Amino acid sequence: MRILLAEDDPLLGDGLRAGLRQLGFQVDWVRDGEAAERELRAEPYAAAVLDLGLPRLDGLDVLARVRRAGVTLPVLVLTARDAVPERIRGLDLGADDYVVKPVDLHELAARLRALVRRAHGQPQERLQAQDVTLDPAARGVTLAGTPVALSAREFDLLHALMLAAGRVLTREQLEQQLYSWGQEVESNAIEVHIHHLRRKLGAGLIQTVRGVGYCLPRQAATR
Amino acid sequence: MNLVPRSLQGRLLTLVLGAVTLTWIAAAVMTALDARHELDELLDGHLAQAAALLVVQQARTDDDDDHAVDAPTLHRYAPQVAFQVWHEGRLSMRSSNAPREPMRAAGEGFSTGLRTLAIDGERWRVFAAHGAERDVQVYVGEQLRSRASILLAVLRGLGLTLALALPLLALAAWAAVRGGLQPLRRLGAQLALRQPQALQPLAMPQAPTELQPLLDALNGLFARIAALIESERRFTADAAHELRTPLAAIRAQAQVALAEADDERRAHALRATLEGCDRAARLVEQLLTLARLEADATVATAPVDLAPLARRVAAELAPRALDRGQALEVDAEASALVAGNETLLAVLLRNLLDNALRYSPDGATVRLTLHAAPGAGTRVLVEDSGPGLTEAERARLGERFFRVLGSDASGSGLGWSIVRRIAAAHGASVAAAPSAALGGLAVTVGWPAA
Repeated sequence: MRILLAEDDPLLGDGLRAGLRQLGFQVDWVRDGEAAERELRAEPYAAAVLDLGLPRLDGLDVLARVRRAGVTLPVLVLTARDAVPERIRGLDLGADDYVVKPVDLHELAARLRALVRRAHGQPQERLQAQDVTLDPAARGVTLAGTPVALSAREFDLLHALMLAAGRVLTREQLEQQLYSWGQEVESNAIEVHIHHLRRKLGAGLIQTVRGVGYCLPRQAATR
Repeated sequence: MNLVPRSLQGRLLTLVLGAVTLTWIAAAVMTALDARHELDELLDGHLAQAAALLVVQQARTDDDDDHAVDAPTLHRYAPQVAFQVWHEGRLSMRSSNAPREPMRAAGEGFSTGLRTLAIDGERWRVFAAHGAERDVQVYVGEQLRSRASILLAVLRGLGLTLALALPLLALAAWAAVRGGLQPLRRLGAQLALRQPQALQPLAMPQAPTELQPLLDALNGLFARIAALIESERRFTADAAHELRTPLAAIRAQAQVALAEADDERRAHALRATLEGCDRAARLVEQLLTLARLEADATVATAPVDLAPLARRVAAELAPRALDRGQALEVDAEASALVAGNETLLAVLLRNLLDNALRYSPDGATVRLTLHAAPGAGTRVLVEDSGPGLTEAERARLGERFFRVLGSDASGSGLGWSIVRRIAAAHGASVAAAPSAALGGLAVTVGWPAA
């Protein structure tokens, strides 16, 4: 899952990026409000962690602007300010969650996963498609109850497809969701991962829409 | 014992009643003097007139016998009035209370007019008149005692009125003073009812003009206290919030280090954890410095030589500067004495140099120059070859927790607040400008010429 981290504090930003990466997220880190707004408008992130005390453009202004521009991705606001009126203002401006520093990395990750899940209309933590079950928190996948070992990329790819069940995702969309900045993407990387997934989970799970992309049929994904 | 009562009401009452009594007594004295004068004139006139009548009458009578008097007592006042009529040196008529000797001072010849004399131990006012025909000499006299009793009667009237009026007046004055002091009591009651945290202005819509200065002063005081409390509150809140970020960083980095299998990355996270601790500690230290400064606005003043102080502070900071390849120069040959607190001045110099080093890149130059010309004041100039600041950024310097964007330096944004606070406490000015010599920021702390 690729998320945007907007945090101006170098130590905290570095720590959050490293921690969220450990927990299976692809993290892009920006340090000011203008960059945050630009990235949120341009790139397809699963969610964003937004510090409110950003230089150049305040976090709440970023939020208000991208919401006005029709950006609907879940935004988790991270702040040192915990007074109730500030929380209310943040939530009213379009924040989906409000976390006060300091925050536990596992809690932050869980909240992000929950936000992404709800944004895709999935009330349950576990995702299911046919006899494949995906647990985003444990980053585990089972096939008919038996654990299947997947690489990080394979897991992320399956996760993206299951979250978007019933919709066709293009190769570019998948690449953008899987890789953060500066990561080399081989031209056939997605095809290779799809191939591995089919080998491990069965050929019938993921459908290819020739010339367009890949799809997990909706009826297959009845959790 | 103090004669003036401590209560405002008692004081007013004493003053008012005292003034009234004194005025009254003065008026009574004036009246008495005036009355005596008028009385004398009137009665003297009567004596003269009576004498003239007797002269005229005696000139026509041909009666030389000594009529020992038979003028009837017509009035209770009559015994105090006496007369003699002399014909050619013989007493021809007198009132019964008149002596047989001429009513004049012993050894004195006859002369007309008024005089005061003693006859038989009694003081008399006597008018002597002379008729040319038959050498008539007429004396008409009146006991002075009677005049005194008239005067006394007048005075008694005045005194009685005062004795009756004073208690009534005191009552009226008491009521008036009490009524007049009502707003003061209302103010007192309002103040007594106040909660300690209630700092809104006192509202007294119909306050008398005399109370207005007091009200204004009180409201001014409330406003200042409210501002002070508000600034303290904001400071505490800001400080607590500012500490959350380094704490969050420490927590995140420590969690990363715990979960990291890769040695290199774990070491990085652990180093970052330590850095976060250092930063939190530095923030706490600066907060404490600032809190102490705000609590204690006054500075103990002793002569402090800035030159050795600057060298000492620079020596403390030099190792870290050397690590980053920065050149730290101090140009402070002559001694520069300013009045102040050495510890605080050291904190000021350290913050100036620390800021310059912190926000300048590796290999930069930071120079402290001390200007101390006699008669021109003392200036400390700290400049660097760093990126400098835009005008807008310079304007925001000194806002608590304001940090310049894009610097990875772990500043707290408090250094400037501290510098400004210490400078203000020492009567020094702080100014930031682009450095002409090094291209970065130049900060000048200036003391006016003594």
